[in-house]
Amino acid sequence: MALPQDPLWYKDAIIYQVHVRTFYDSNGDGIGEFRGLAQKLDYLQELGITAIWLMPFFPSPLRDDGYDIADYRSVHSSYGTLDDFKLFLEAAHQRGIRVIIEMVLNHTSDQHPWFQESRSSRDNPRRDWYVWSETDTKYRGVRIIFTDTELSNWAWDPVSKEYYWHRFFNHQPDLNYDNPAVREEMWDVMKFWLDMGVDGFRLDAVPYLVEREGTSCENLPETHAVLKELRAKLDRDFPGRMLLAEANQWPADLRPYFGNADEFHMAFHFPLMPRMFMGLKLEDRKPITEILQQTPSIPDACQWCLFLRNHDELTLEMVTDMERDYMYDEYAKDKSMRLNVGIRRRLAPLLDNDRRRIELMNGLLLSLPGTPIIYYGDEIGMGDNVNLGDRNGVRTPMQWDGGWNGGFSSADPESLYSPIMLNPVYGYQAVNVHSQKRFDHSLLSWMKRILRVRKSMPVFGRGSMEFLYPANHRVLAYVRELGKERILAVNNLSSSAQVVELDLQRYKGDILIEMFGKNIFPRVTDRPYLLTMGPYQFYWFRLRKI
Amino acid sequence: MAEGSILTDDFLRELMNVGEVDILIGVPTLNDAATVGQVVQCTRAGLLKYFPRQRSVIVNVDGGSRDSTQDLVRAASISDLAQGTNPSALRTLHCISTSHERSTENGMGLHTIVAAADLVRATICGVVSPDSVSIEPEWIERLLRPVSRDNFDMVTPIYRRNKFDGLLVRNLVYPMTRALYCKPVREPHPADFAFSGRLASFFLEQDIWSQPAIQNGAETYFVISAITGGFRLTQSFLGPRPRVDHSSGDLVQALRQSVGVLFWALGKNFPVCPANSATEKITATGADGELSMEHVRVNRKRLHQMFVHGLEELNPVLNSILSSATLAELNQAATAAEDSFRYSDELWVRTVYEFAAAYHQEVISPDHIIQALAPLYRGKTYTFLVENRDSSAVDVEKNVENLCLTFERLKPYLLEIWDGRK
Repeated sequence: MALPQDPLWYKDAIIYQVHVRTFYDSNGDGIGEFRGLAQKLDYLQELGITAIWLMPFFPSPLRDDGYDIADYRSVHSSYGTLDDFKLFLEAAHQRGIRVIIEMVLNHTSDQHPWFQESRSSRDNPRRDWYVWSETDTKYRGVRIIFTDTELSNWAWDPVSKEYYWHRFFNHQPDLNYDNPAVREEMWDVMKFWLDMGVDGFRLDAVPYLVEREGTSCENLPETHAVLKELRAKLDRDFPGRMLLAEANQWPADLRPYFGNADEFHMAFHFPLMPRMFMGLKLEDRKPITEILQQTPSIPDACQWCLFLRNHDELTLEMVTDMERDYMYDEYAKDKSMRLNVGIRRRLAPLLDNDRRRIELMNGLLLSLPGTPIIYYGDEIGMGDNVNLGDRNGVRTPMQWDGGWNGGFSSADPESLYSPIMLNPVYGYQAVNVHSQKRFDHSLLSWMKRILRVRKSMPVFGRGSMEFLYPANHRVLAYVRELGKERILAVNNLSSSAQVVELDLQRYKGDILIEMFGKNIFPRVTDRPYLLTMGPYQFYWFRLRKI
Repeated sequence: MAEGSILTDDFLRELMNVGEVDILIGVPTLNDAATVGQVVQCTRAGLLKYFPRQRSVIVNVDGGSRDSTQDLVRAASISDLAQGTNPSALRTLHCISTSHERSTENGMGLHTIVAAADLVRATICGVVSPDSVSIEPEWIERLLRPVSRDNFDMVTPIYRRNKFDGLLVRNLVYPMTRALYCKPVREPHPADFAFSGRLASFFLEQDIWSQPAIQNGAETYFVISAITGGFRLTQSFLGPRPRVDHSSGDLVQALRQSVGVLFWALGKNFPVCPANSATEKITATGADGELSMEHVRVNRKRLHQMFVHGLEELNPVLNSILSSATLAELNQAATAAEDSFRYSDELWVRTVYEFAAAYHQEVISPDHIIQALAPLYRGKTYTFLVENRDSSAVDVEKNVENLCLTFERLKPYLLEIWDGRK
């Protein structure tokens, strides 16, 4: 299958996020690798995703799950070789699946040779590849991101006897983007992978590239200049490839990352995600509609990336204090579920393993404007293990079947990179791909169906959106529109049955066709369109003028 | 509107959109545009500040205002329809309004409020008066918290009042309620109060709503039936409640709303508690009553004149209500010069009890009985003003307490005359 040549492919994409380590171990060493991942591409193709986002797979001491890169041009030996990666990439492309890889621009591992050289002496040629200072008082007041572990953004280097700047863990020194040599080197790194054929990059932690005194050192114009420079080179040398921004910011602060369609193609909509969970728990659409009202419009060629869960904690940085307290109380009563400023849980446990709520949230993910990202394992309702440190509880092995190690690996269970889920509710014997494939009504089968429906009409990825605001605030309703195609999505956020009257007068005469069963609903008239909805039920209707 | 229903179809539709809530605050209104906006905004602020996570609704039941009362209430909604965000609100807050033209009395308003509370399954309910201009967000917390946190069924207010304000309550409604029901509820005819969803359902199920007395003063009946139903009562100090200047015509209406209901309810509940029962304490959050001492101009001379003339004019009517001894004593008192006129506690209590018995025996129309009480009450008010002209707050409280004790002491007298045996 050839990849479609549409340069806006990312707007129609359904992205599957996976760490190669977690997916399938084909050589029995307890760690997933590219050969294993390649073997499971048929599964992903069958699921219906169109792109894979790979978390960092580069050589790394793995003190931050690979986000501490020690070599940007190679593959961590545990995950295979560069050739293995190339084979995987080719196999994915053959199945019409694009591959997006992680690129950590902001910092390296302190084990990276660049940093080792930089710290070796103050007059080393690579000294100013990182941000050094004689004092730890520069950039005072800049917020600390990993509040649970870091007390300062500066760390003392006993070798060269100066402080180095780090926005994340102290073993992740920030690169100095004021240095043209750094910018050039990082573009060369990106070129290395683009030449190989990767379809895009998820650029990690982009707001923090440049530092300036007296600022928050986030979202600075100088940072945007660096990113625009990279984009210009990408467009020049690799048209049709994509950049995705990871910038956990408010929508208004995110907007500049799209520029005039000359910076990022896509950016995560971080503030929306917690509000989807909040709206569900409050049984009130207000948090969702409010944040989307605040979301500025973006250039036509750009796109938001939406997600329910990912490899990190459910971040609560982009909510008010009151909202954060509410989220903690409702979704992380057990304090061990809390990490940094967020909640380290997977989708199914967050939703009490309630199939109706899982479906509703996926329905929202797939019908709100943006490109959806599905976190590996969430398509079968995998659980988490909060007893594992940091965010490792949501990074346990993929559960393929009910056999040895859940079908993930033939290694001794003790040698797996992470304990597999064992409990009776979420353990591999209860939740696995094999058993869910056997039943038409399993979550996996349902996910396949909804992805098929989503892919059937480009309006989901590219259409405009207009809220309907029915008087019943428990119901979230919106119309997506692209050319002559119109979709009406109606979502009952409540745990009880609801009646809703929709003002559809603009579509008077249209027939509503429910998109899953293709059943015809009554024609729209002058009068309010009355729907009754079961608990957590949602409808997708196609509006047709016949 | 469906036949036999007090809820209009439009209001029902609004309630359907509101759905299940935790808190319902009712605001009965009639041409209150001058004050209702402030009251509703404060109520909203109180809900957002103290109950941000609860699902809440403010329900205005209007008696047919010709001003913008209903619009002002609706404008306080917090929804995603409004431009801009409201970061202080987690969720939608509906402020809905309905009106009824069938009656200008407040019974219909409260009936609608408890019906709405029952329908949306509110577990915490409150009523705030549209003329409570001194309301603060904290009032909402003080009223609702005892229900939400401590499982009380009814919370009545305690206000900081001027010593010459609330005289009908202090000279009649409070002491008589206390004597009859053995519960010292300081505001038995509350303007602002809270109650549990359980109690709302209890009220709703009672077959009382068509009674004229309830149409006039359902609040008093709420308090009384909460007591007699064995529900858990508490009181909460809210703060100052400014003096409301009523025209003289308002007195009869005020008597209907409080004393009329008190008398009517007595017919249903008599005998409530034995004559020798001691008053039980009711918990109170905050101050247990406060008086402010600022000077208030009152035309005592006019009160005295109205007493004398009223007594004279109504003598034939009073003759059928009062015992000959009481009427004679009153007539005798009326002959005194204004300076030396006093309406003693004992005579006042006997007067009130005889009115209550007459009301029960329906010697004349109940409403005429209530109207006939007005001039006598003015006489008692005159005496209260004179006796407490220079009294400290403590002394005023002491005098009220003495009156309460007189009501309690003479309770056997009420039992004797109740059925006309004496």
